[in-house]
Amino acid sequence: MPENSNVTFDLECRQVTKSFGDFTAVDQVSFQIPTGSFFSILGPSGCGKTTLLRMLAGFQHPDKGEILIKGKSVLGTPPNRRPVNMVFQHLALFPTMSVTGNIAYGLKRRNVKREEIRTRVADVLKRVDLPDAGDKRIDQLSGGQKQRIAIARCLVLKPDVLLLDEPLGALDLKLREQMKVELKLLQETFGTTFIYITHDQSEALVMSDQVAVMNQGRFEQVGTPQELYYHPETSFVAGFVGDSNRWEGHIDAIEGERIQIKTVEGESFVGRSIVKHQLKKGDSVEVYVRPESVNIENPKNRSDLPNQCRGEVISVLFDGARSQFLIRLPQTEGEISVAMPQTGEHAQLRKGDSINIAWAADQCLCFRRSSGNHDG
Amino acid sequence: MDKSSYTRFSLWILLLPFVLWLLLLILLPHVDMVSISLRERVSARNYTFSFKNYTEFFIEPLYWRTFVRTAWMSVLATLITLLIAFPVSYYIAKMMRGRLKALLFILCLIPFWVSELVRTYGWMILLRETGLLSTFLQWIGLSDQPVEMLYNDVAIMIGLVYTSMLFMVVPLVTTLDSLDDSLIEAGYDLGGSNWNVLTEIIIPHAMPGIVSGCIVVFMLSLGNYLTPILLGGKDSLWFTEQIFTQFITRFNWEQGSAFGILLLILSSLIVWAGLKLSRQSFTNVMS
Repeated sequence: MPENSNVTFDLECRQVTKSFGDFTAVDQVSFQIPTGSFFSILGPSGCGKTTLLRMLAGFQHPDKGEILIKGKSVLGTPPNRRPVNMVFQHLALFPTMSVTGNIAYGLKRRNVKREEIRTRVADVLKRVDLPDAGDKRIDQLSGGQKQRIAIARCLVLKPDVLLLDEPLGALDLKLREQMKVELKLLQETFGTTFIYITHDQSEALVMSDQVAVMNQGRFEQVGTPQELYYHPETSFVAGFVGDSNRWEGHIDAIEGERIQIKTVEGESFVGRSIVKHQLKKGDSVEVYVRPESVNIENPKNRSDLPNQCRGEVISVLFDGARSQFLIRLPQTEGEISVAMPQTGEHAQLRKGDSINIAWAADQCLCFRRSSGNHDG
Repeated sequence: MDKSSYTRFSLWILLLPFVLWLLLLILLPHVDMVSISLRERVSARNYTFSFKNYTEFFIEPLYWRTFVRTAWMSVLATLITLLIAFPVSYYIAKMMRGRLKALLFILCLIPFWVSELVRTYGWMILLRETGLLSTFLQWIGLSDQPVEMLYNDVAIMIGLVYTSMLFMVVPLVTTLDSLDDSLIEAGYDLGGSNWNVLTEIIIPHAMPGIVSGCIVVFMLSLGNYLTPILLGGKDSLWFTEQIFTQFITRFNWEQGSAFGILLLILSSLIVWAGLKLSRQSFTNVMS
């Protein structure tokens, strides 16, 4: 996150904390969001992301901490006065009003003149590519159209920050993929700061400039999608963002950044440690290897990668671009999933075939085993 | 018997009690009432066809004034019931959760386990000259003699509103319950004040419940006999009392039937006008 003081922040949270009884839903969360960016909060259900969003919208009040919008504290401001608007999980379009009525609702509350309301509604409908939808009833719209109207209803008010509470959750897969791209484009054309909460990592990765991974009320890591994917800082992030093969084990030896690991099942790997973690010999660790970073070796031309295994294909999981082989390592009976190369190179592999696989030490990330932080 | 005719047969068997009830207790008496109301007694057992019983209603001021008064008081009772029941229902449906919600709902229901007669006597005990309220006023020194609070329009109104409350609360709680909280939150989030959210979101959503509650309460008030007579006394001037007088006291069944039919037609017209005004359809409201 840029620490440059010239950057203006649309939204800033300082040590925001919220508890319900004994349960701390949001635990000292601090972050800053620069103007005009798409910021996602990614986490499993129950991690506190909805509570955090509702505090930003003003429906809940933090026990401690400070929320600033454009540099001004909004803690004393009720939801209807905050310069933020929210797209609700089930959109919450008013079924008793037409599309125009829905979009004009907020403008009327600001005493905008009738003429101006008409032009602004027409304008925003054009911008979300539904110029003729104005007279329709809400139940006449398709899922994707409702989505766009819900966003238009907020954006017509030109909020400083737009909050989105998993609005794509109710859509079917195809439409969801399409809406991801559309949302990103909408955000770019309007230039409004979006805060998007989701449990779907693909939504967060595709759309966001910055993603915060949240777990048990805390931010585990904030960074660009690439940083989260390639350089996770905690084992939770490594396990939650993207697919991974995971082992538990302990450290056998350390040589600089290279670490020798012995897994519980008895395999030996060479891995890389995250600088922050400062591991020592004998520490319990978790090891993560992404399926796509595992090479399927050509028997005539073996690579010199430090982690080499021989295994048997026990399953071919075909899923287009996300196809994987499930491979059993015979010495330990452990299983490892390996991405099928898209070049079609190993497409002929079948169940029961024996292959050699290998991966680089850099692709094998080690984290200190955190107690109780990860139970899956 | 094949399957489809068997299902049709069982459907008829199931419908039979209802059809019989409709036919024998509702339709037949009304047809008979219409025919009785359209005849005039010339001499003993000698009747002619005539509209006299109907014209009588419009010529004699006491009759139609009583009707207008009854209709007006019923509309007023309906509005007051709505005004009291709406916040109560909103509180039960939206502010309460779980067991407390069920408890409050049952508390609204409990008075209706007692018969209307007993409930009305309850009000009489409170309001009569030697009643609780009168005694209390004398005890704290606000009055130096017994106060009669029965036998006036306010007492009738109290009784009607009290009797009707449940029939307003139930449809209101049901419709308000179905209002998604996020719609209310969205109303605030987009800049609405409490008043905006109430008038633009909550009331439009609750409209079917409001209208169905109002129809039921209005019909119950209009057709109520016990409460106006007991709390309003002899001079309560309630239209059902007129019907009773014609049938029982004056033994003028022709006139009584005409009043009964007129009450049905006029109240239906008022309900129809109410539906038109609130732009609701009858099927929508009653479902």
